Amino acid sequence: MRNSKQMLSYILQRLLLMVVTFLIIFFVCFILIRLLPIDPATGAGKDPEVFYMMQVNMGRMYRGEDGQYYDVPVLQQLWTFLCNLVNPASYIDSNGQVQYVSRWGYSWQISWLASPMEILGRQLPPTVLINVYSIILSIPIGIGLGIYMALKKNKWQDSTLSVLVMLFISVPSFVYAFLLQYLFAYVWNILPPIRADFAGSWFTWDMFKSMILPVLAMSFGSIAGFARYTRAELTEVLTSDFMLLARTKGLSRSQATFRHAFRNSLVPIFPMILGQFISVLSGSIIIEQIFSVNGVGALFLQSIQMRDYDVFQFVGMFYVLIGLVGTLVVDVSYGLVDPRIRMGGKK
Amino acid sequence: MNENKIVLANADEAENKLVASLTKDDFQFVQEQSEIHDQAFETKPISYIHDCWRRFAKNKSSIVGGIIILLIILYAIIVPFVEPKAHVSQRDFPNGYQDINFRYATPYWSIFDGTGFWDGTTVRTVSENDYLIYQYDDGNRPRAELISRNESSQTIGSTVLTTVTYTIREDTYAIGCKNITISQAEYQRLTQYEQEQGIYHTENSISKPFVDASTYLEGYRAQLEEEMANGANLTLPLIDGIIDYMSNYYNQNPNVYFALTAKNPTTGQYSQNRYFPVLDANGEPVSIYAKDENGDEVYYRPTTNEVTIRVDYFDWFVYRYGFQPYSLFGTNAQGQDIFLRLAEGARFSLILGVCISLVNFIIGLIWGAVSGYYGGKVDLFMERCTDIIANVPSIIILTICQIQFLNNYALNSALGSGGMIILAVLVAFVYNGWTGVASTTRMQFYRFKSQEYVLASRTLGARDRRLIFRHILPNAVGTLVTSSVLMVPSIIFSESSLSYLGIIDFASSGLSSIGTLLNEGQQAGLANYPHMLLFPCIVISLLMICFNLFGNGLRDAFNTSLKGSED
Repeated sequence: MRNSKQMLSYILQRLLLMVVTFLIIFFVCFILIRLLPIDPATGAGKDPEVFYMMQVNMGRMYRGEDGQYYDVPVLQQLWTFLCNLVNPASYIDSNGQVQYVSRWGYSWQISWLASPMEILGRQLPPTVLINVYSIILSIPIGIGLGIYMALKKNKWQDSTLSVLVMLFISVPSFVYAFLLQYLFAYVWNILPPIRADFAGSWFTWDMFKSMILPVLAMSFGSIAGFARYTRAELTEVLTSDFMLLARTKGLSRSQATFRHAFRNSLVPIFPMILGQFISVLSGSIIIEQIFSVNGVGALFLQSIQMRDYDVFQFVGMFYVLIGLVGTLVVDVSYGLVDPRIRMGGKK
Repeated sequence: MNENKIVLANADEAENKLVASLTKDDFQFVQEQSEIHDQAFETKPISYIHDCWRRFAKNKSSIVGGIIILLIILYAIIVPFVEPKAHVSQRDFPNGYQDINFRYATPYWSIFDGTGFWDGTTVRTVSENDYLIYQYDDGNRPRAELISRNESSQTIGSTVLTTVTYTIREDTYAIGCKNITISQAEYQRLTQYEQEQGIYHTENSISKPFVDASTYLEGYRAQLEEEMANGANLTLPLIDGIIDYMSNYYNQNPNVYFALTAKNPTTGQYSQNRYFPVLDANGEPVSIYAKDENGDEVYYRPTTNEVTIRVDYFDWFVYRYGFQPYSLFGTNAQGQDIFLRLAEGARFSLILGVCISLVNFIIGLIWGAVSGYYGGKVDLFMERCTDIIANVPSIIILTICQIQFLNNYALNSALGSGGMIILAVLVAFVYNGWTGVASTTRMQFYRFKSQEYVLASRTLGARDRRLIFRHILPNAVGTLVTSSVLMVPSIIFSESSLSYLGIIDFASSGLSSIGTLLNEGQQAGLANYPHMLLFPCIVISLLMICFNLFGNGLRDAFNTSLKGSED
């Protein structure tokens, strides 16, 4: 009872810390992004009226009583943004209807006046789908390979696989992506090189086929990572004293391995899997670019290339949040699965 | 009990006999003359570094990794010095070597000449009209060899359309003839050179006679009109079309030096867009070279100060610049040599990686040392700072820096566009790159600062600085060096990913990194020009693999707890 209370307070403490960290990051990034200049040529065309309208609507400028435009101080912009976030300001549109301003700002380039939230929601499914397929593929294969390598330790199977794992961990993922795309799509012509259709359902056979290559390209690295990690953990556990005890009390080698060694070696692997699940939401920019997947990574890249600051800020903060939540979940789950590193009990 | 006594008695007896048999000569002094002293150590003492080196040398894979890294570094350093293409004159190539005529040339290595692999050829499928250009050419080297002729037919209504395509192995360096403009003096030198070589106005000459398509087309129009009058299946608009299209074709393909006809020799049909060569009795195409009033072929056309000549471009290139245009790794869309550019790119990437790692190492070391050594509130505060800094993706910082710097006029004029981008990259990578080193250092300090020998030194009155730099840091150095060596590939990787995506734009300011080359390859298209991606990918993969092997070797070497465990 005391233990779980401590755990809870630990989680709350970490959560609070995370929120504070996020807010600081958010404030700093908001100010830095708001300080970026807008190039009139790329922003709103050459029309100064449109340019100033845009600046006013973005909350960067206001129109004085003398008809001139003036800059709004950055801290005031931040305050306005926070106010809108909690309680969106309303205005009367041309039809006499009450409209609310978007909580998260507006996209000016990618999708005219759409809310970044909406755009992100649209781009999320392909990223999530590809990542989920990749996890489904990589976790069992990776862990399986790791177990196999640990059981065959120092035999030829282990050394061959170790070399392969080493190669797959080191070689950058875009290299496999190119290789897969070139061989399967251009030389042998079996799979489509880029995403098949842009309007259809996510679960058609064509869509699945076009996702095979990006999923493979994403998986190789994590398969190798899981295999190496599992092997290291399992070999450590297999040589520990309690394994000897398990054998002495009469368990067979396979019984001892699966009931004692494997379970124990999963302790540090489990948080790793959880971390992988959190990162499902953030796409790999480079893989999405190579295979023309219009996911979150592609959106981020697009917002940078087109200087769509509100979207850039929104997606950037989304990435920061995922990173923070991921770390938090991994840390907390370490404490949950392994009583020895239950952080609450430290003090 | 009894037996033992007997044995002992026997032994005594034997000993007594032996002693009795000894004479004085059997004895001599051991050290009568020599001095007695301690023996010197026969083995040398092993220092920490020596011990590490021994363990490192035992690790074969990290030695191999180190050698490959060294080879790549040598490649990056030496090639820009020895490659003739790196020393072309500024007047001929203002932006460094590039020849747009040899763009997208495939890799060529002389030892594979003629094998079809790595010999500057590429397999292409071309239409019948395009195949003409490869089939007959008045250049000095064959442009392509035929692999197969494919026919496919398609039925539309009652007519059957047959499309013939040719699969050819094209030599991407044999690009045929080009019209070029040179100065009078240069033309005279060329003529002199050709006369010395005995190739002046022969089949193998560098300069070739001009093609006069317009005169031929005038004659051909008259011929077609005559054929129409004789009842051929022709109309005046069709003749106009044929002449128009054919004129376009001649303009687009300055290599075509022979007469064309629109009449299909097998079916006798005329078509606007399918041409056939007019062959003479020997099966050779009939040439349509421009003739002057004496009936001689025209080799040059003077303008005010210069001359326009038609040359076999490959031979002209060799004559003019003194080296062959062959490129070991092929060329890119601008006709730049990838072998040279990759060396420059690898050099740039490596320098960037090492410099950024060094800066990160120093910052992280100081930060981590202070935070780990002092602990308590200082540590808590510094840890929070690190946490905040580490969680902002460097891509956000990079974007902000780039846009901010590009719009900063003062900075722009001080550094130039290239310097500014490098600065942005430096800021973005240093911004949170050091946090890893800092946390490693902090852990090491936590580990060592509470040990007895530090306490002893502190009791003797050592200052903080001495404790940090003399006592704690040397113990942590192995781990730290390893982590900073492993930082180099990760920086090269992120830099090349970001330049590949176009977020870092080195190319527009004339710089190149491995990522820039990847970006070029991606823009050219993986399907058509795989060689442009292949070599940068190989180099970056090798760098990643070898740095990892090397780093792992270092980690094991510095880990003194492994001492003796492998012997």
